[in-house]
Parts: sequence; C-alpha cells; structure tokens
Amino acid sequence: MADEKIKVEKDESTPIYKEWEAWARKGNFRVEGYQFIKAPCGPGKIEDAKVGDFMLVNRPHGALFTHSYGLVSKFFRGLIEKTLYGTRCPVCGTTYCPPRMHCWNPTCKVAETEWVELPLKGEVHTFSVMLFSADAFLEMLPFVLAYVQIEGSDTTIPMQVITAPTDIFVGQKVEIKFRDKRMGELMDMYAVPVKGQKIPENSCLNNPDYLKDMERDLQGTYAYLEKRFGMKKEDIEKRWKR
Amino acid sequence: MSRVAIVGGGIFRGDRFRYENAEEGVAIAFRDLMNDTPELDPQDIEFVMMSYFSDHLNQQLCMGWIIQDYLGLHRKPGYRVESGGSTPLDAIINAYYLIKSGYYDLVLVPGWEWMSEVDTATTNEFIASASDTDWDFTVGGYYNGYYACLETRHMQLYGETIEDLGKIAVKNHNNATHNPYSQWRSEHGTGYITLEDYYKDRIVAWPYRRMNCALISEGACCLLMASEKVAKKYSDTPMWFEGVGLGTDSMRPGDRLVDWAYHGVYPEDEKIYPDTVKKPKTPYPDMANFGSLREGAVTAYKEADIKNPVREIDLAEIFAPYDGVELTLYEDLKFCKRGEGKTMIREGIVERSGELPCQASGGLTSFAHPVGATSLMQSLFLYWQLSGRIPEKFGDSTLQIPDAEKALTTGHGGTGCQGGVIVYSR
Ligand SMILES: [Zn+2]
Repeated sequence: MADEKIKVEKDESTPIYKEWEAWARKGNFRVEGYQFIKAPCGPGKIEDAKVGDFMLVNRPHGALFTHSYGLVSKFFRGLIEKTLYGTRCPVCGTTYCPPRMHCWNPTCKVAETEWVELPLKGEVHTFSVMLFSADAFLEMLPFVLAYVQIEGSDTTIPMQVITAPTDIFVGQKVEIKFRDKRMGELMDMYAVPVKGQKIPENSCLNNPDYLKDMERDLQGTYAYLEKRFGMKKEDIEKRWKR
Repeated sequence: MSRVAIVGGGIFRGDRFRYENAEEGVAIAFRDLMNDTPELDPQDIEFVMMSYFSDHLNQQLCMGWIIQDYLGLHRKPGYRVESGGSTPLDAIINAYYLIKSGYYDLVLVPGWEWMSEVDTATTNEFIASASDTDWDFTVGGYYNGYYACLETRHMQLYGETIEDLGKIAVKNHNNATHNPYSQWRSEHGTGYITLEDYYKDRIVAWPYRRMNCALISEGACCLLMASEKVAKKYSDTPMWFEGVGLGTDSMRPGDRLVDWAYHGVYPEDEKIYPDTVKKPKTPYPDMANFGSLREGAVTAYKEADIKNPVREIDLAEIFAPYDGVELTLYEDLKFCKRGEGKTMIREGIVERSGELPCQASGGLTSFAHPVGATSLMQSLFLYWQLSGRIPEKFGDSTLQIPDAEKALTTGHGGTGCQGGVIVYSR
C-alpha cells in the first residue's frame, strides 16, 4: 500500500505479494503450448458436420487481487478474532448476518445499521451434499453446503457443516466453530451439528433409496480424490468421525 | 406503438467443444439466418443487440466489437447486454423496447458463448464469480450447489421427490433426441432413456444428478427482430410479441428470508406455507421460489392479456438451468399454485403430448446452453414451432406441437437474481 494517507495496523500481505509475483509473471498470457487437431465443424445439424483442421494454444493467466471488504470489514476481522457479528436496522429491527451496513427494507430508506454480536449457534435452513465442486474446493469434497440461520439473525449465511453427508437435515441445530488458521473469509468458520438430534421422519433426504444412491456416489467421489490428489477415504471420513 | 416480431433466425449448433471461434460461429449462424430469410440485406439492419455472458471464459473484453466487425456491421449502432443467465432474454427484450418505442425497425440479435477453453471445474468456478464472491462463493459454493440448496428447501416445503426430478430429466433428454441441433443427441445419440438410467446417473450436488444440470456448451444463434411496418418483408410467418416482463430478486439467495421488497406483494403465496418448518419473516419467495420470475410473468401476462396460462399457452421453453427450477417455475409462472409444481409432471401436463408441453426442445440440460445464445435458440425453436416448420427444420415431426398459436419463454440469471418472461403468438 503506497497511499500515504493510510496507516497499516496489521500486515499479513507483504510476503504474499512476493510469493505470488512469480506466479503472475508465469501466467502472463503467453503461448505455452500448442496442438494441431482434426475436429468436427461446420454449419447445420449434427449429421452435417465436416472434419476441419484447427490449432489450439495454451495461454495461462493469473492475477493477485487486493480487495477491500468495505464497511463490513469488522465482520471479517471478527472471524479472525473468533467473534461473530451481524448488523441490526434501528428503524425496522431486521438483523442481518451476513451484515449489511445499510438496511434494504424499502421503508427504511437505506438506513445505517448497527453492529451486534451474535451467538455461535444456528439452524440449517437448507443444504446440499456436494459430490463435485468448482476447482477451488475439490480437495474439500465431499462436503455439506448449508445456509445457516444464526440465532437472532433474520437471514442465512452459507457455510460448510462438518457431518456425515447422510446425516444432514433442514432444521438441524448447529454450533459455529472457527478453524485454527483464519484468514478473514467465510471459510474461517464452519458448523457442527449439536449432539443428540434425531433425523426427522419427514426430512427430504430421509429415504432409504436416496441414502443408498448417495453412498454409491460418495464412493465415486472418494475414488476421484484418490486418483487426482492421492487422498484416502479413511482420512477424509475422519473430518466428521471424531 | 408498433407491434414487434421475430422474423427470422439462424443457428450454429451448440456442443461441448466447437473449434470454430466465436466470431466464426456467429457468422455461420448469421449466414443460416440469411439463407432462411432471402429478403434480408445486411445493410437494412439498423441496430445490433449483442448477447454474451462471460468475459472470463475467453479472456477477451469487448468481444461484441469483434463480432460486429466480423459480420461487417461495425458502422451500425450496437451494444452488449449482460445479466448472467438472463443475458439472451434481456437482449431480446432490449431489442423489443427499441423497436416498440419507434427508434428502429430492424434489429439483429446475435448471441454466443464459448465455455470450454478452461476445464469443467474452472468453467464452473468462473461462472460462480457471478455469485457474491465475498459471501457465497468462498465456502465451496458454485451454481450446482446454490441451486441444489434452493431445490432442497422447495422439496422440504412441498414434497416433490427425486422421482419427480427424474421424470423432468427423462422428458427433456428424450425430447432432445428428436432435435438434430441438440448436444444430448450429439453426445448420446437418439436412444431414449428411462427413470432407471436416471437413477444410475451420478449425483453432483444432492438432490441433483448430472442429468438435472445445464450443459456446458459452445454455440451461437442470431435472431432478426422487426417492427410491424417491415415484418412481412422478411417473413410470411412472423412470431409476434404479445407481452414481456422483467423482474429481479436479491443477489444472495440466503437473504430471501427477509425479502422486504417482496413482503406482502403475493399474499396468497405467503399463505401456502407448511407448518412443519420454521416460517421466515417473508415466506415468499424464501429460498424455495423465484420472485423475479413471478414479477416477469405478472407483467407479461398483463400485457398479453393471459388469464389462464395452461389453457391459453400452447408450449413453453423455460430457461431452467436445473430441473428443480423448471418444477418451481410451473408455480411462479402461475401454471399451478405454489407447492403444486410436482403435479404438473406427475399428471403429464408438461410432456410433449400434454396440455402445456415444456422444453420440447430439450432445454438447457439437453438442447445446449451456450449462455448468451440460449434464449435465442429457445425463441428460434418457438418461431419454428408457431410456423409449423419443425418437420422441415428437424426432418422429424415428433416435436411439432400441432396448431401451436401462443408460446412462452423465460430468462433466468444468478440464483433467480434476474428473470424475464416473453409471450409470443403466431
Ligand atoms: Zn430497516
């Protein structure tokens, strides 16, 4: 940060600039490889396709973004300090977690909200069991992605619930935990189910056929992880078998 | 004010990989349009309304300039419309507004997307940057996951089953086997699948299997849109706009539990809420339904004077990136009441032989989904449908809905952050 008007209070950035500079230079959009191929092409229906000659090139590109969390920076600093914050509108009383600094209730005319500390407790509003993911999260598979309503908040915040994928349900009570290494992002926290809850009869996942198919496809995910990253099923299951 | 019509279209078939590049694909679609519309002199085109979603996927900003240049239309006024998955529908609606308002009589709408330059997981990651990257993306979110969460909530509230989602998948994939421009037919061939095949398909993000999710595609499509004054010059069978509507909803789906902008707007839907789960402050849309599409439908139906969509509309091409979206939109498009979406598939109403066939083309999971071209492809399919030209265009009459007069299509961006509806007539 070269801006003379700002004062850096804590700096976990400077070594990172160095580390990633090499990577940004490597991913410079230069051509790093190429292929000549023959491939179907041309107008019309599938059956009309002809074979044409094409050249493919490989061009990497990377960048390090420096992003401000803006007026809700306090929330993310809170994660690093193991405290969960939301905001509350002084006009209509809506409590937001994720926080917004301005109330979105049209009757409040974007009133400024106030910070409130929230308890480390919540309830699963909805969920998905992820057996495939975007590139950034492949090593976390399989995981439960859930939208959790923190106690006292009117909205939900997404997080991973560390549980056996077949045990999750809508309405599950959870405790919020913080990871040991925290960087000021939502991944710094996660949820674990409060002990002693029974899966309700009417849970939409509570069906022997659904659970059987889930078990089958979990094996596929484990096999993928072993092949791609050398990860072992037993080690993965340890995440929730504690 | 002038009426507005679609008077022609051309397609560059979508597939997982296409090796012509985007400008060449669009040019091929444009030539297909001109072959089908012999009266069209490119010099007659007054405005170019370009439709493409992502700048990330090809590392090219201002791709629209390349396209206008490549087609030789670079002297004409033109710009790009972008609103996530709703991009192509919003481009059509933008062109509609321009013609309707009297500014232009003839507008070309080219749409395209080239989505396979990075691997599948990275494509998913780039697309996921259309979600809130501070609040939704970082925890392992991407659209399969977000939409799976939305479908889980709807399922828990209203009791549709995996079988219902499977029936929608089977319907759409089997329809696509009769569509010679479909990616499913390119990848799989013309054999039908059954529910058993669906159950064998891999779960990606429960409750969704691969077959429930939109394809990743490369492809292009061009539509020609005209005012009433010039429409007949280009087409004997114009497809007229009867009504359009747009809507929006929150960026983050997780905020829809206090969706104050929707509070009290749809009281009948707020009441249809089970007492088996905790009721949020604003029970509609919650994380279950799509308010943006409801807004779009209400506006479009008013303009088109539609009172009973199932009876008055002959077929629908819904922008459903996931099968649960299709089921939920049966409700938000007022084909049925909230919570009754499942009966539309169970009773066969949305099958191609039913009262309101949905996704006869195969839709986003089977036709193809090159985002910027998708609604153009669906509208072109409807143009062929309403003029009875499916047998001629497909060499197979199976998908032709007999005597179709009115059709509906929708757009859908983000997690329903953006939505739109168009009602067409012949
Ligand atoms: Zn307020």
